[in-house]
Amino acid sequence: METKYQPGDKVQILQRNQPGHVRTPIYVRGKVGVIERIVGAFPNPETLAYGHSGLPYKMLYRVNFKQGELWSDYDGSPDDTLEIEIYEHWMAPA
Amino acid sequence: MSEHHHDHDHGHDHDGKPIQEDELPALEAQILETSVRELLIEKGVVSADDIRRAIEAMETRGESLGAKIVVRAWTDPAFKEKLLTSSDDALMEFGIDMRPMELCVVENTEDVHNMVVCTLCSCYPRPILGIPPAWYKRRDYRSRAVREPRAVLQEFGTELPDNRQVRVHDSNADLRYLVLPKRPEGTEGWTNDQLEALVTRDSMIGVSDVRSLDELVG
Amino acid sequence: MRGPQDYGGLPAGAVDPVKHEHVPTHWEKTVDALMMLIFDQRRQLARVDESRRMQEMLGEDYHKYPYYERWLQAVAWLMLEKGVFTQEELEAKQTEVRGRLEAERSGN
Repeated sequence: METKYQPGDKVQILQRNQPGHVRTPIYVRGKVGVIERIVGAFPNPETLAYGHSGLPYKMLYRVNFKQGELWSDYDGSPDDTLEIEIYEHWMAPA
Repeated sequence: MSEHHHDHDHGHDHDGKPIQEDELPALEAQILETSVRELLIEKGVVSADDIRRAIEAMETRGESLGAKIVVRAWTDPAFKEKLLTSSDDALMEFGIDMRPMELCVVENTEDVHNMVVCTLCSCYPRPILGIPPAWYKRRDYRSRAVREPRAVLQEFGTELPDNRQVRVHDSNADLRYLVLPKRPEGTEGWTNDQLEALVTRDSMIGVSDVRSLDELVG
Repeated sequence: MRGPQDYGGLPAGAVDPVKHEHVPTHWEKTVDALMMLIFDQRRQLARVDESRRMQEMLGEDYHKYPYYERWLQAVAWLMLEKGVFTQEELEAKQTEVRGRLEAERSGN
């Protein structure tokens, strides 16, 4: 399966208001991060959750965010980061 | 109902209300559980023995398995490399097959401290660490670990210098996370058993460091 | 639209690693086992994603339910959805079990 993004690419998580079961928490939506690694192709949890096959598979990435990007009032170290898994259809090039 | 007889230490439930030893769940919950369980048995979906075996299996999984993996990584550089880069193969050596999930091992160093949370539910490397701790499943931890990790670490008694980067891992999808804690200085020549005694569950979730040498002696 | 499960970043209380430690009770392990069994390779009656969907459907009740009661509700709803048993069968069973457990508890 093709990967649209490579480690190091900047991506923006989509600010999408989607009903039903999704695995992209609100706190990363609209935020810009960097692809940390390609995890691989996995069944889509958004359809698995309704008893479907999860096909077609979705490419999954780990995305790294600076904490200051996620929380404007973050008061830890400016180097602190957060990494989370995001499916390809939830991101766009930034 | 002898199967509701508990033989554990006294504990506290998930909402922080103290519960007594042998305390049963709320009546309504016990009615629903008993009804579902008996229907599943009557329908031939599960047997009482299947349930007993599943409980036994979950009791064999726990932090001691995680500690063995950590110590192997501390003492065997080739294994550590495999664990960090292709964990499936490394886990096979311990007879653990996590598929379709994948284990992502994150290493603590002088400069980096890793910490794991699942904000959306309570994803946890159960085949290695067993059932997640109650605090891991609670709203407090799930809400705040991503936003104020250093404050949460302090609540666990873990003080980090400002120049040590905190990396939070939100375990929200197909990976499960294990923190590889830093091997303490002064443990050269220790046996595996001695080293394993240093490795706590919390150190593999990343809310604390391993036991200090003084703690161990005490 | 924020689902009840989407806690990340919301204000919340302090984590108390002593008070919020808890050894799972036998009852909780039983619920855990039921969930694992309906997921397992042999049965494949449901997937973990479906269980999460069911828990999220608790809506505001999600916050009130203890963890394993959420799991239990998800198992029950999934088995109804899959047609493993019917609502009528469940209700009849609950009536019978209620009588038994109430008698047992008052006898304690």
